[in-house]
Parts: sequence; C-alpha cells; structure tokens
Amino acid sequence: MIEDWHQPWLNGVELLEDSNHNKHFLPTGYEGIDVLLGGGLCEGQLTEMVGPSSSGKTQVCLYSAALVADKHFGVVMFVDTCNSFSPKRIACIVDQLSSSFSGEAKERRLKRVMSNIFCHSVFDIFALLDVLHQLEFKLKQQVKSGDTKICLLIIDSISSLLTPVLGGKGSEGRLLMVSAGIILKKLANEYNISVLVTNHMVGGEGGILKPALGESWKSIPHVRLQLTRDQGSNICNVSILKHTFMATGRTAKFVIHSRSCSVQDGRGR
Amino acid sequence: MEENPRGWIHGDETAKAMLSRILTERPFLFLPPLHRVPLRVGNVVEIAGPSPSAKSQILLHAAVNCILPEEWKGIRFGGLGRMVMYFDLDCRFDVLRLSQILKHRIMEAYRSTNNTYWKEKGEHQKNDAPTTHMYLCDDELFLDCMRRFLYIRCYNSFEFLAALKAMHSHSQRESEALGVSVHFLMIDSIGAFYWMDRACQPMPIGGSKRKNVSLQSLAEAVVQEICKLLQMQPVLVLATKATIFGAGTSGNDAQRAFGKWCSEGKMDSRTSSREGEKLMYREYMPSSWQMKLYLVGNMEHFLRMHLNGCSLH
Repeated sequence: MIEDWHQPWLNGVELLEDSNHNKHFLPTGYEGIDVLLGGGLCEGQLTEMVGPSSSGKTQVCLYSAALVADKHFGVVMFVDTCNSFSPKRIACIVDQLSSSFSGEAKERRLKRVMSNIFCHSVFDIFALLDVLHQLEFKLKQQVKSGDTKICLLIIDSISSLLTPVLGGKGSEGRLLMVSAGIILKKLANEYNISVLVTNHMVGGEGGILKPALGESWKSIPHVRLQLTRDQGSNICNVSILKHTFMATGRTAKFVIHSRSCSVQDGRGR
Repeated sequence: MEENPRGWIHGDETAKAMLSRILTERPFLFLPPLHRVPLRVGNVVEIAGPSPSAKSQILLHAAVNCILPEEWKGIRFGGLGRMVMYFDLDCRFDVLRLSQILKHRIMEAYRSTNNTYWKEKGEHQKNDAPTTHMYLCDDELFLDCMRRFLYIRCYNSFEFLAALKAMHSHSQRESEALGVSVHFLMIDSIGAFYWMDRACQPMPIGGSKRKNVSLQSLAEAVVQEICKLLQMQPVLVLATKATIFGAGTSGNDAQRAFGKWCSEGKMDSRTSSREGEKLMYREYMPSSWQMKLYLVGNMEHFLRMHLNGCSLH
C-alpha cells in the first residue's frame, strides 16, 4: 500500500510528545555552550561547529564524548577524519571528572567510558556514507535496550571529507554533501541521536573568513555555531549563526582547561 | 437527450455572476505575515531567498494564524481555525518553535483582552490575577490548535510523491475527525532534493514502456499531483525555496536542468530589488514547476515573493 512508501503522518500534539519524551539535551560539558543552547546538544538535531583551526572545536567534541559516555546517556560514535581523536585526552578529562575517586574506581570508570566510545577513522566521503548506512542498518535491527543505544554521533571534521569533492563544475560533490546531510538528519530524527559535525573556515570577499562548504550546506544543519579563540588565551567565544528557535547573534564564552594532566601508566597507581 | 446547441453556446452564467460566486466561495485572505499580498485558495506561492532569510518563519507564522480559531471563550484571536498540512522536505522543522509562536500569540491575545477589560472598568493597573485564571484554559486551546497542524517528513522525492498521493485521503479522515478542512499546504523546501534528482540517470526502468526517471519527470509528477489535489480540494500552497546559485557561478548547471522543456533554451536569471539592494540568483527548479499555472487553467494565480532578510519576531 502507499502507506509503506512514505513516513507516517503526525500532528502537532504527537510531535510535541515525541520532542518531550525522546529528544533530550546532551551537555557538552562547557557551561557557556550549554547555557547558550538551552541545555546542550539536542537529540534529533544536526549541530555544526564552525571555526578557524585551533578554535576549540575538537576539544568540544572530545569533552562532549567523554561526558556523555561518563554520565550514562548512551553510546558515543566518533567519526574521525583528521586523526584528532585522542584517547589520552579522554583519559585526562575522565581524570578531571573523577578527581574525588580512588585509583581503582578511576580505572574502572575510565574503562567504562572508553568502552562506550566507538571511534571510526574515515578518510573519504564514500567511506563515511558507508559507515552511516551500516549504522542505520544496525539500528533498524537493534532492539531498543536501555543505555546501549547510541545517542551522540560526532564527525570531526566533515568539511575535510567534502571539500575535496566540492568545487568544479560537476554536481557530484553537492550531491554527496546533500545525501550525507539527509542521512545524518534521518539518523538524528528516527533514532534520537544528536549529531555534531565540525567545519572549517575559508576566505571570503574582502578577506573576511566565512564557513566552508558553500551555500547548499547552509540549509542542512539545524544549529550552526561559530567558535573563535583569542590568540594565546584559553577563553573561546561561541556565537549562534543559525538556530531553530533561538535568535542568531547570541554569544557566550567558555574556557578550555589546560591540556596538562598527570600521565598514568597502564597499571595505574 | 435532445440537442440544444443554442443553450450550449449561451453558457451557464454570466461573467459577473461567476465573479461574485468565486469571490464568496474563495475570498481573498489577508493573513499576516503575508497580509500585503492578496491570496486565495488555489494559489501556488513560492517564497524564495538565500539561506538565513526568514522563509521558514513565514510558513510557521502563517500556520499559527491558520490553526488559531477565530474566537474562543470570548477572546478574539482572528485566526482561521482550519488545518495546515506541512511537508517537511528539509527535515529541519522544530516543533518547539511552532509552540513558542503559538503560545506567544495566545498570550498576546489574552493580554490585550485583559487591557481592554481593565480600561472599561476604569482601572489603570495591570492586575495579573484574572490572567492567571485564563492561563489555565490555555492548555485546552493550545492542544486544540496543535491538533490542526498535520506534519509529514520526506527523505527523497519518491516519499514526497507518495505522501502527495496519500494526502487527500488522509486529510479527508482528519477533516471528519476534527470537523474543519485544510487551508494550507506548506512545502519546506521545494528544492531540497534537487541535487539528488539531478543525478537520476534518464534511463528507462523495467523496459521501454515505463517512464524514464529524471529531474524533469519527477518535477512533472510532483506538479501533476499538486494540480490533482488542488482540483479535489482547494488549498493555498506555500513553498519555500533556498536560492543556492550566486550570480557568478558557472552557467552549465542551470542550463542542463532546463533541458528541452524550456522554450528559450538559455539561462534564466532573476533580479529583485528591495530597498535599493539587488539580489541575483539563478533559477534552478525545472520549468514544469515554474510554469505550473499554465498547465491547470486560468483560475490559478502564480505569485513570487523575493525576500532579502525581513525581520520577524
């Protein structure tokens, strides 16, 4: 029947119920961002972080991954395209979070967090689409069971996969970009996942930096945040470029803690 | 039946009678935020603009004005009290924004009624006590309105077509359940699957008897479904479209999209000026969408509004 060919019809009341029951906010761990976004990253939405290099995007990704895995929200999938995933950094963060615990408990906690983060390395857009299709297939088969369900999908950075295929007169690049956007939003909506992607900046008119990936990408994410960091400082600025229900232009500051932490050997002490 | 060629020539009614009939059956509506533009049921309106202009916000405000009732428990809201069908092709709809706008409108109506109430009584203080009593009745009105908002998400053109085909029967069911008819058909946004449809190879599927799948044929199918719907059930169609081609991009992409259906066979660029600014963009939707009115008849009226950053609450 034709009902099989399209998504089900919903009305406003059902949409609200779904939003209240299923679409929770996942904290990033940085208070400035969480307050700005009204709670954190929203499940069911595609959030994009744009910023020049070394503006704190990867740090936010790693911190949210660690926090979400630590607080039992669910499983985190980290798609790494530029070798930015650092288990040492995750260990540092968990160390900070569990500073009041003893050595043994810390070890157990770190193990649990690490086992809840799945990291995939992909280096081109086709591999990414493959990973996403496999994830969709797996989620369709999976019976919903407690907290083993994925709730956060991070792609750092999606622009390094898309920029090589965009550009030129061919339309294949934009097709791949739009297809990736549609799959990400479908995963977010249907399986209550929050998707976080990072993007870099390129030079625009008059030398002003603008987000990469062009005009067609602008209408794909739900939320677009811009990060900037003053040179040599720990304080980052985040401002809203686009949001589904908040005014653009709102800004906040957050502090990235220094990277040094005690390196523990494998056995712990 | 005996032939009566003379009666056949004379027609059923005079033009004047027809005009007055149409204006009563399908009156012009001036709904904010589109209240400067006279729109009637049966019109197809495309709202085009670059990405961060407020196109989706216009749809949401128009939807709220449609689902609010004319009057409820003595308070005048000025809405239509009819249903809205929202096709979310961009998959970026946020129900929290819709409920935010709806709640704001309800509060505003309560507040203005409260002000007039106190003015009549001769008091000048704004006392919140009576309004809190009214806030409790909010929920019922709010849920009533939200039930009139029908929503469907589509992830590709085929799902969109299937949803359009199924829309009529679904809207009939809902009309019977709620007792009101559909007024708006909103599509956000019509160009969402452009790149995916362009990549469809114009190859015959299942033998040469089946129609080819290509950008043009998909666009025509969509247009045909909408026309069928408009004939069976007159609604006002609002579609948003993001303008993605800047003025300086290469022309081959847009040219290929028109194919052999376009009569001119050259690129189509549109300009619009608003407060002195010029906005150039390339039309990328196939001409079957643009030429929709010619396919259906002279009752349709095809309008375009070009936005360049308008400010809405």
